Amino acid sequence: MIEYLLFATFIGLLFHGIHRKVIARVQGRPGPPIWQEILHALKFSFKETWIPKTASRALFVGIVFVAIAIWSGALFILLTGGSILLLFAIYLLHKIVEHGMGLSTGSPYTKFGAIRSVISAASELPLLVTVVAIYFFTGSLSIAEITAYQEMNGPLLIVAFPAAVAMYLVILSKMHYGPFSIIEAKEIVSGNMTEHFGVWRAALEVAYALKTYVLLYAFVLIFIGALPLWLTLILMLLLLISLSFVCAVTPMLSPYDTVTIQSLVTGALVIYIVILAVVMG
Amino acid sequence: MFNLPTPHIGGPELFVLEFGDIVAYFSPYTALLFAFAVLFTVLVIVSRPERQVDIAFGGDAYYTKEVDPDLLRFQRFMAIACGLATLGAMVTGDVFNFTLFASMIGITNIGIVAAYRNRHVLNAAFQYGIVAMLATVPLFGGAAIILSSTGTLSMWELFGGAVAVPLIAKAFLVLGVMGEGMAPFYIAKAEITRAQGAPFILMVHVSSLLLFLRVMEIVISM
Repeated sequence: MIEYLLFATFIGLLFHGIHRKVIARVQGRPGPPIWQEILHALKFSFKETWIPKTASRALFVGIVFVAIAIWSGALFILLTGGSILLLFAIYLLHKIVEHGMGLSTGSPYTKFGAIRSVISAASELPLLVTVVAIYFFTGSLSIAEITAYQEMNGPLLIVAFPAAVAMYLVILSKMHYGPFSIIEAKEIVSGNMTEHFGVWRAALEVAYALKTYVLLYAFVLIFIGALPLWLTLILMLLLLISLSFVCAVTPMLSPYDTVTIQSLVTGALVIYIVILAVVMG
Repeated sequence: MFNLPTPHIGGPELFVLEFGDIVAYFSPYTALLFAFAVLFTVLVIVSRPERQVDIAFGGDAYYTKEVDPDLLRFQRFMAIACGLATLGAMVTGDVFNFTLFASMIGITNIGIVAAYRNRHVLNAAFQYGIVAMLATVPLFGGAAIILSSTGTLSMWELFGGAVAVPLIAKAFLVLGVMGEGMAPFYIAKAEITRAQGAPFILMVHVSSLLLFLRVMEIVISM
């Protein structure tokens, strides 16, 4: 498990670098090298580190460990074929990480990031729609049983396409430099991450790399099926590049537009679920 | 072993805790939620609040707010009570107990926020209080419909598939939990975030999210 955790962290950081590179090339800039985020994580590991004088110390430090723990747990759930309800829970608990990170410092910038995280709570609901839609088709929330279902009946990507779109939107909501990345917008410095620097930032980079890896891996596993590792990685990369294109050509929305769009999408998906419930009895 | 009827939803049963005819259970799902609630309750106990930095607009000045020790003690007490209520809601095996814990979470959440003497925060707490009180009607109404239509409130019976729970009861349960703290009533919570005491205010969010996650498991399983 430890070696897979290190592998996932490395790939996640590499994916972050590729994400930045693709965005830059689409926008006509050379962009940083693709290993830039790995260098960032290493650089922050050796920077001087302290805790701001105004911070709630236990929460400031504790939340970083919580971030790493929940995404390591999520990876474990995927590898062992656990329940996607657990995955949904972890995704929602990541919201607490965002809140805690922002509120614990006392800084107004991080606090604004935390408030933006609170008001964009609608971004989590499409994942719930995904969970319910998958349950309608497979009758189970166990990842092992969902992949077994796909081996028998073909990928869920085709039969449950709106649910796949919902999950795609969920991943897009959590991508850096995306249209919904309001919690780390530059007008509030780095948003809720502003005061976490040095080793804390390095640890957060690791947690976020794991998060990206887990979300992309979960998409492939849930909607396409269990494949050899090399093929899974290629599909994850293609998915990432498509997300990077969206991020590159879409400006960051205002907080209220973000909430409006996410709520509208969630509403449309709820209608899909109701139709599904009526059609499938 | 009681053989949890829904191992394909939250995972297999790991451990049960009997309180007479009420049997709390730990599956991988409820155990994760329970562990998360324990973690944040411990954080509430050991943490001191942050000192918020406010910027005076129109200049370079900024100042740090002072922490009132009395306020700190009260907020911490309410946050710990909220944490304990959340722990109960995460593992209970009885729908009525779940609704009781949910309403207790709503009450303690209002207590955490209402302690802070700021007009905006108190307004938000007032609005939140009204929504939480209104939400107790669908919350307990949902439980009442389940009892009247199935004859039981035990999740062990309701999850089995032998009894059919009306859709309206499930909808009422979800609506009640949403009223106790979840979106779309979050808009009041953005104001709540002005209040000082990050570890305690965070407990408001932790309890609401965990409660929502638990009700999802209950509704899908029934």
